[in-house]
Parts: sequence; structure tokens; C-alpha cells
Amino acid sequence: MAVRGGGRRAIASAAARVRQRTGAAALLAWFVCATSASAHAGEPLPALDFDPPPPGSYTLHRIMAAPDGAVLGIDGRSQRLSQFTRDRITLLGFIYTTCSDPGGCPLAYRVFDAMKQAIETTPALHDRVRFVTLSLDPARDTPAIMRQYAGSRPSDTSGGLRWYFLTTGSAHELMPLVEGFGQDIRYTIDRSNGKPRWELSHVLKLFLIDAAGFIREIYTSAFLHPRTVLNDIETLLIEGSGPGIEAAGR
Amino acid sequence: MISHRVMRSGILAAAWVALACTVAAGPVRADETCNSPYTAKLIKGQEDYVYVWALGVEGLGDGSDKLVTVDVHPKSKSYGKVIASVSVGSRGEAHHMGFTDDRRFIWAGGLSEAKIYVFDIATDPAKPKLVQTITDLADKTGYLGPHTYYALPGRMLVQALSNTNDKGGVTGMALYNNKGELIASYKMPTDGGGDGYGYDLAVNPKKNILLTSSFTGYTNYMRSLWELVKDAEAMKRFGNTMVVWDLKAIKPKRILSVPGAPLEIRWSLNQADNWAVTATALTSKIWLVKQDGKGEWQAKDVATIGDPAKVPLPVDISITRDGKGLWVNTFMDGTTRYFDLSNPEAPRQTYAKVTGKQVNMISQSWDGKRVYITSSLLANWDKLGAENEQFLRGFVWNGKELKQVFEVDFTKETLGRAHHMKLGSKALRTTAADAAALERLARR
Repeated sequence: MAVRGGGRRAIASAAARVRQRTGAAALLAWFVCATSASAHAGEPLPALDFDPPPPGSYTLHRIMAAPDGAVLGIDGRSQRLSQFTRDRITLLGFIYTTCSDPGGCPLAYRVFDAMKQAIETTPALHDRVRFVTLSLDPARDTPAIMRQYAGSRPSDTSGGLRWYFLTTGSAHELMPLVEGFGQDIRYTIDRSNGKPRWELSHVLKLFLIDAAGFIREIYTSAFLHPRTVLNDIETLLIEGSGPGIEAAGR
Repeated sequence: MISHRVMRSGILAAAWVALACTVAAGPVRADETCNSPYTAKLIKGQEDYVYVWALGVEGLGDGSDKLVTVDVHPKSKSYGKVIASVSVGSRGEAHHMGFTDDRRFIWAGGLSEAKIYVFDIATDPAKPKLVQTITDLADKTGYLGPHTYYALPGRMLVQALSNTNDKGGVTGMALYNNKGELIASYKMPTDGGGDGYGYDLAVNPKKNILLTSSFTGYTNYMRSLWELVKDAEAMKRFGNTMVVWDLKAIKPKRILSVPGAPLEIRWSLNQADNWAVTATALTSKIWLVKQDGKGEWQAKDVATIGDPAKVPLPVDISITRDGKGLWVNTFMDGTTRYFDLSNPEAPRQTYAKVTGKQVNMISQSWDGKRVYITSSLLANWDKLGAENEQFLRGFVWNGKELKQVFEVDFTKETLGRAHHMKLGSKALRTTAADAAALERLARR
């Protein structure tokens, strides 16, 4: 868009005012949170120690196409994963219901819940974003268990956000998805209670998938910050990724 | 577009407010002392293997570059012995390597070509297997001599040293996904004081900073060192800069003047620290990179390594996990030095020992008690005759003295020139696509 000098200055000034207000609001929110931190699970979020590049000022490259395969919804119906990774921006994470590593699934849930709240309070993001949590443990995490685990989240669409809880019919169906996303999982044998017990563990990754089905960013637990995720979502929206552009694997 | 951004920034203000109240951040995790902070599965106990990426030597064995596995577990029957070797079938000036973020694969390459070799170290950590050769780097980017392999989530950022056009030092970085597909490339800056050269890269995600250093191009590093040093014009073609990049955007933010070919970069692993050090090969200095009082990144000469007039040629450095100590190898005098980094503004040498007739790379275990040293710098820069020792030597460090505990003679074993090292462990055996293992979980 061509902008004449005076107009450009006016917009720059308006942008500065908006960012000032945003910064002041965030500081206020941070102060309020800091004084009530004990009311929340986990430690409060420290402020980012850097100014992230503004949304739209950087490129999120297409890392790879999101893999596809058969999955089961909480109603037990078999569907393709691509039905849950196209036409909207998707934040996808692998979980399993028995995961107790505080740096794994619980952290992912805190991020998902925080993002959900943020999106619900932001009308511009309504109906633009979905969440997908896919189980790494199909033997235990049946559709019924996933439905119980999800609680009211899947049916809560009041904020314009759908959250899908998926599992697979077998390890053989799951593994191509795990490998395709590059989600590393490990198996260990716990012998602490006498009888050997196989345990599953994983390094948390969240995948940001554009509306065409391409993975555009991958977040790990060590450096996962919701603000950067929201910035990236905004970057994809500015880019205009969505229906109509060449889709992954089609 | 500007007004669009303004609108969205305003829209998302509510989102920032909501976020600030609800989320706990993940811990910032350190790593084995020189790996990417995104690398999973640290070896915090006793390592089982040292993988050595070795340059082939014509007439020695098959003459090809190879990944050599040495058993380094003191209780093993084959302690200090070579237990596996994977030849790539050609000679391409093998140099450095790096783990993927899931630590299932090692990427390795040579400086005289543009190939990248991918070894599976997860299926059987004792016997790495060559599973892929990436050959499109030169064609798609024009870069030559891939050097540093640095894991980002699901990706590998590769720093090259040269280019296919004039084989000089102007080069760039290539970003691949973990499947070996090129995603993007980035030119090293040649404006704003940038010389366009590259060498190492290292990130500080807490600060959203990518830091790069600079060496020289193919025409220099593939030339005989003894001829090169007599060529005054060629000696001008070495990097004198480091670049501070915005990690998220991978865009240059600031060029730092660091004369004399700054090489390896090590961020302090102490969570409270946000500084990095490097050593300059030609000027024999330790430089500190950190923010000043105004938040600007600055580089500062903080120590001298040996006698710069004698050109000891500092090559590799290794930082302790607490950021309090730094090993420095100087190639020419074969000396391993330890610097007290308690005050990074004024590192102080507290120990030195001649560990070989020529020494290059140095790696330490997570606890700092074991130190490994190799001998080769570059095929045409290594010493000649009896001084051309080629080895992996293992040492134990008690805080006061380095004591050698084993040696693998790479010439006697017909393996070649020993260069870069990475540590391995039996415990890292894993197969991601292992449905059978998951089925066993079902019966738990």
C-alpha cells in the first residue's frame, strides 16, 4: 500500500500509540498476575527477555507438509487427520492421558488453555484457529478415555475456537504420524516396583500448521512462550495463508 | 499493510493481557557443553562412545572420510578401542558434525565439497549407519563447505564456509528440515561492516539471538598452510567480524568487529548468564560478546592466549556447564589450556599442558571430569612428518591435572585424520517408528 509522507507518519504514530497501550496493558496485567500467582498452577510467566520481531515482519517458512493418516475422534468415528489440519490455522500437540512430566503434557495444557483464553477474548481470531491434541498412547487412550479426559473443552465453542481430542486405532496407525511430524518418543522400563513396567516419554513439541496444511513453526518445551505463538499466528494471518493457495499433499 | 498490522496489534492487545495471567513458562535447559540448546536427551552421566569424524588419507585404509566409534566407558572390555567405523566412500575434507534436535541422527560434512552425510545413531548407538546423503546444497544455495550443523526444532541450520562461484569466503547459511529438505538460505551480510564470511553459529533462545563467526574460503583453507602464510594478499582474506542476528526472523541486527578469524562460539550454559565467548585464530585472543548497559550487543577482547607473536593458533574451545571455565586448544604448540571464567570480563589462565605435537578439537563430558582431544585441523594445515600425529586421546580432569587414560592412534588404525567429536550413549537407543514397542506398552 502506497502511503504519502504525512499519512505514513500518522500511521506510525498510531502504531506507536497502540503499542504503548498494549505495553501498558500487558504491564498492568503482569502486575495483577504477579500478585495473585498463587492462584494459578505452575509458576507465573516471566516477561520475555527480548522484543520479538513484529508479526508480519518475518517469514515462517514451510518446514514440511503435515502428515496425514487415520485418526479417531472422541465419538469413535474414523476420520483423516487432514480434516483437522486444513482450512484453519492449527496448533497441534501430542499428549497422552497418563503423562505426568511437568515439562511435557501439563505444560502443553497450560499453553493450550492460555491460548484458548487469549483467542476467546480476541474476536479477530475467532473461527481462524483450532487446537488438536493427539494421543501417543492408543492402547490406553481410547475415544472414551479421551472424551473423559477432554471434559467440556471440545463442546465449548463459545469463543470461536474448536479443540479436537484425537487418538488412533492402533500403534501401527499412530507411528507414521509420529514419524511424519518428527515427534520423538522413548520407551523405558521402570523396575522400581519389582515387576518391569514399560513407560512412555516424549519431548514436548507443538506444531503450528497453516490453513494449507504446512507446518510453519515447531515449539519445544524449553523455549515455549505463548506470546511468540500468538505472534506467529498473527504473522500467518497477515500473510493471508488460507483456502485458495496450494495445499499440502493435494 | 501497515494499517493492517496496527489494527491487528490493537486487536491482539487483549490476547497479551489474557496470556500474561495464565501460563507458566518451560524451564530454559542447558545442554552438553557445546550442543544446541534444542538438543534433547543430554548425557549427564558416563558417556559410552565418542564418535570421531575423520578425514580420509590417500593410501591409508580405504582413503575415505569416515565416522569412527570409540568405546570410552571405563568398565567396558573394549575401553579405549575402536568398535565401529562407517566409511562414506569418498574423501571430502571431513570436518564438523551435529546432532538433530531429537539426537537420533548426526549430520556431518566436508569442506571441499557440498555433501551432507546423515548417520543414524539411535537404532544402534554402537554402530552408526549412513542413512542419507544430502547433495543439493551447492545447486540450491551456491554455498560450499558445510561446516556447522546446529539443531533447531525439527530443523538443521547449516553454516557454510565458502561458495561455488569464486570459492572465496563470502557464504551463507542453509536451513533444512530433519528430512533433509532445503527450506531456506540466508546470505552472510556484506553491508553495514559485514565481510560475508562464516564459520560457527550458536543461539541464545532466551534473548532471541543467533550469533555467527567468520573464517575464510575454500581458496585459503584448502591451500597448504605453509604456503598460505607467505601470501600477504591471501592472508587478508580472513573474517574479522561476528554477526548478531534476530533468531526468530534470521535477520542480521548488528555487525561486531572481532579481528583475526573468530572461530568457535560458546554461550554460557549458566541460566543466569547471557554472554558468549569465542577465540580468534590469528590474533590469539578470547572475546566476550554480551549486552552493554543500553542493551546493545558488544564484543570485547578480554584475554590473550599464549604469545600471539608466536601464533599459537587457538582452534577449539570448550566451556564448562557452569560457565566458569574454558578449555582452549592451540594447534601449533600442541597445548591445552584452562581459563578461569569466573569473571568473563577477565578470563585467567590457570593451567596448561602439552597434549600432543598438534591438537585441534576438545570436548568434555557434562560433569567436566573427562576431556577428549583430537589432532587434525585441516588436511593441508596439519604438520608434516613425525609431528603429524593423528589421534583421539582421552583424559581425566580432577580440577588440577589432566591425566591421559587412553589413546587411539588413527594412523596405525588406518582411519585417517581425527577431527570433530560427539558423545554417545547406549541409553539413547531408540526407534521412533517402533509400533512393536508401543504395543508392549499396551500390555503393561
